[in-house]
Amino acid sequence: MSNRITTGGQKLFMTFDITPTSHSLAEYKARGGYSALRKALTEMKPEQVTKEVLASGLLGHGGAAFLAGRKWGVVKLNDGQPHYLCMNADEGEPGTFKDRWFLENTPHLLLESMLIGSYALQGRHSFIYIRGEFDLAYRRMADALEEAYAAGLFGENILGTDFACDLVIYRGAGSYVCGEASAMLTSLEGKKGYPRNRPPRLTVAGLYQKPTVVNNVETLANVPYIVTHGAEGFRKVGTAESPGTQVISVSGHINTPGVYELEYGYPFADFLANECGGMLNGSELKCVVPGGISTKVLTKDDIMPLRMDHHSFVAAGSQLGSQGMIVVAEGTCMVRLLQVMLRFYHHESCGQCTPCREGMGWLERISNRLVAGQGRPEDIDRLYQISRANDGTTICGLGDAAGYATVGILDKYRNEFDYFIEHKKSMFGGRLEVAGIGDNARLVDAAVA
Amino acid sequence: MKHLVPEFETWKKRYPAGFESSLVIPCCRRIQEDRGYVSDEDIADLTEYLGVPRIQIEEVLAFYTQFRRKPIGTWHVQLCHNVSCSMRGAEGLLAHLQGKLGVQPGQTTTDGRFTLSTVECLASCGTAPMLMVNDTYHENLNEAKVDALLAALSAEYQT
Amino acid sequence: MIEFFIDGVPCTAETGQTVIQAALSAGVRIPSFCWHPNLSVPGNCRICMVEVEAEGGAWFDIACNMPVTKGMRVLTDSGKVRELRKDTMQFITLNHPVDCGICNKSGECLLQDHHYAYNGQPSLSRDSKTHATKFYPLSDRIMLDNERCIMCSRCVRFTDEVSKSRALGVINRGDHSLIRPNEEVDFNDDPYSDNIIDICPVGALLSRQLLDHARVWYLKATPSVCPGCERGCSINIWHRKSEWKLNALDPQLNTSIDRVTPLENPAVNGPWTCNKARDLSRIFERPRALQSKVKSAPADLAAAINAATALIDASSRAVALVSSWGSNEELAAFHSTLGGSFTSFVKADHVPVPGERIEDDVLIKADKNPNRFAALAMFSALPDDAASAFPADTDLVLVWGEGAPWSAIPSSARVILLTSYDQPENVRADVLIPISVQTERNGHYTNFQGTITAFEQCFPKHAPIADAASLFEVLYSSTSRVAGTK
Repeated sequence: MSNRITTGGQKLFMTFDITPTSHSLAEYKARGGYSALRKALTEMKPEQVTKEVLASGLLGHGGAAFLAGRKWGVVKLNDGQPHYLCMNADEGEPGTFKDRWFLENTPHLLLESMLIGSYALQGRHSFIYIRGEFDLAYRRMADALEEAYAAGLFGENILGTDFACDLVIYRGAGSYVCGEASAMLTSLEGKKGYPRNRPPRLTVAGLYQKPTVVNNVETLANVPYIVTHGAEGFRKVGTAESPGTQVISVSGHINTPGVYELEYGYPFADFLANECGGMLNGSELKCVVPGGISTKVLTKDDIMPLRMDHHSFVAAGSQLGSQGMIVVAEGTCMVRLLQVMLRFYHHESCGQCTPCREGMGWLERISNRLVAGQGRPEDIDRLYQISRANDGTTICGLGDAAGYATVGILDKYRNEFDYFIEHKKSMFGGRLEVAGIGDNARLVDAAVA
Repeated sequence: MKHLVPEFETWKKRYPAGFESSLVIPCCRRIQEDRGYVSDEDIADLTEYLGVPRIQIEEVLAFYTQFRRKPIGTWHVQLCHNVSCSMRGAEGLLAHLQGKLGVQPGQTTTDGRFTLSTVECLASCGTAPMLMVNDTYHENLNEAKVDALLAALSAEYQT
Repeated sequence: MIEFFIDGVPCTAETGQTVIQAALSAGVRIPSFCWHPNLSVPGNCRICMVEVEAEGGAWFDIACNMPVTKGMRVLTDSGKVRELRKDTMQFITLNHPVDCGICNKSGECLLQDHHYAYNGQPSLSRDSKTHATKFYPLSDRIMLDNERCIMCSRCVRFTDEVSKSRALGVINRGDHSLIRPNEEVDFNDDPYSDNIIDICPVGALLSRQLLDHARVWYLKATPSVCPGCERGCSINIWHRKSEWKLNALDPQLNTSIDRVTPLENPAVNGPWTCNKARDLSRIFERPRALQSKVKSAPADLAAAINAATALIDASSRAVALVSSWGSNEELAAFHSTLGGSFTSFVKADHVPVPGERIEDDVLIKADKNPNRFAALAMFSALPDDAASAFPADTDLVLVWGEGAPWSAIPSSARVILLTSYDQPENVRADVLIPISVQTERNGHYTNFQGTITAFEQCFPKHAPIADAASLFEVLYSSTSRVAGTK
């Protein structure tokens, strides 16, 4: 009996049943695994692989939706320098857990994609940076790597060619900011995860100041399919502007949270009804945080008519982001929701640059005061101002992200904040949960000032 | 730390030459796995073994949340209290755990069994609420499951 | 050379320069906290953000990491840039304690300067400031106040890149970040440690010795040269301004060295100096020789000069030990006057003391005297075996300055001693005439590279003390004949 979901359009990844052994080398090969690698190494030149990835229109799945092939194309082949390909598996954006699916269930797909990518970029050494908390994912990847080494898929003379590649799976140690590409590389150098200013771009000076390409897990996972089916074959899936599929993680007040693969262009209304199983305990949809908490919230009216692709979500004033969707039911206090988000950003700021280091703490302190019933009208102006002052002024996007979360919620739910200030309590009893949820229903009434 | 050096030496083989600095983080993790924390002596030994400035190691241990320089309880109970988990009952679970263990986040029970922490998103939002004990995720929790987990861990502790 | 525009004015930049570097060369001051011309670029304070006009719409970024491109049109003071600076100043002062009234940095604090220039408004925050360690002893010499610290990382980068002691780092993250010392390295062992006091843009790093010593506006800086080694770092010697003289306390306090800071000299020491320069009062303010003496009995200057002249006239084999702390002018004066009457050798007045760094590739040189280079151009060096400098029939030795090899001087020889300091070996002198120190006159030293640098007078001389140069002239003109050979 298959455990696969069939709605949501064509699947590129969720094409097999997950079993206790489905992640093994043997079963991956039985599904056709490593044939793309063989094709790339024996039938294509490195630059042809890059050309195919570029032509496919593959957009990055880490949040920025940057054209993956263009990043690869910047690296100058045969420049006498080492080139490094680094897979960013530091999935830390709250609400996002889809890369974890790949790491735990298709480790060999990821290894194959690293080999193909290293071949295209002339990378002798490559790295997968996994967040420190992903113990199971790490062990699956590490076991798969040893299987692959034993099968001659890493090391020298891979598949009988003169292509050689060594891979290191590098574990982080608890830091959201290490998901930012330049911070990830600085962490890979054995230091604090401090993001870097650009210039120079990482493709010019990245890991140990050498040309480096950083790609998200899912972005790289698409590469074997593109090699096998060509850019044209890839473009048959999804939409013209968002080719392929997205593996989306969804959670919150829905009946069946989880990881689902959707062809781009799938209607949100269908997604909510089918994959999400509808709203939890008969609740009504209030809003959705579409792509991790760093994306702007979309109300029910904003999102219900949308198709799930990049263009539609941008036009609606938000983005698909890291593909970590959080569905919020009516009756949830948005002031408390923002408070949790701001606490997160404050905890994760690396502390280098002034607007973020000071601003994140300031945002959290204001939100705490609001929730404690000690808010003032000027606090709203302050939240907007701090957000604006972090927009485009920081070393990395963490400051901007907190600003988007704040402005997004303030723009749509200003009334809840005004109410909290005036009445010194939440419009919804401070509730973050839906009534009747398990035995953990809690009502938090803000303290009266 | 010295008995771990042969292991560290095998790791070096997969890295390019000149990447000694990179080994700081994996070595600290392995040392902490072994000892339960990273001691001052470990830092001195690692400084010498890798040839990096000692301050780099001190900074790394202080920057990343998973490293510690002091021992904690046998079971590190790390409850996620980020957005999706809070939407599915994490705050109630925190209160429950505080009551059950008799400690606040950041503290260890007097018998040394449990250290309670609140942590940020562990990328398990679909199975919220959840927590991590040492390296293992425990998902789709409620109070009853938490009670059962604590009981099982206590029993394991005794044997 | 790249041509571009700053605020509409055409400027040129060298290839590879950033906007802030090119602006500095063009005399345009873009504010900075974290950027320092002699350190790497961290780009963390964000106060140097500028506007760049472009067809697709203006963009904004930090000037310290912005490469100059041809035809670029940079605006350093547009409306948006001013707004950005105001925002940055609000953030920097958000948790910064208003310690100005009790902070030593007041009056020379970049935070004060930039606040007045670019914001001047009270904080918009209605929440309490965060707190951190107020007095952290970074070393015996330096105190760290973490609340005042704005995390510019200049101090950390200095110990990484210039002194290379790797003594400092940043622990924790976010607004819990703290500057802390390496737990194994003793920052006291870094002879360049005090430079971080100068480069700290706020009052987070202060000299412990000088804490609450004097407000900077009570002091004036006189350019000088450090005599601690033959590098001859350019320095500023700070002392009490006459209009701020202390009336009711020991008058000595008005003529003493309050502090020493480096004076930027790209050819010699850049913007740095070592801690020995900071401690120059330990050299110059030792007990002074103030009283001329003839055979250890106090005498007036005229009598001492007569006695010395008589000794010179009477001698047939005279040796002089020339001071390597003599200025170019003093050495020239000796050379053209008494020099002819003596076989002269240049001695090392000072040698390294135990624990002192001998030499490194930063600033410190092994020769702990400021002017051996000039002296050796005129005279020979005292041989290592000092006794061989004195023929058996030496009957007169002129000792100029400190550090003479007293045990090598024949006991039968008479000694004329010209010195500044009251030391036990002074009793060996048949005639002792006190001379001025560097801070009491103008002059020049020549360093090991042959670079000549001027030092200026800071303090008046004590009443009866003469300059060595004029003494040489007087003694020379008083002698009746020329004796001895070169």
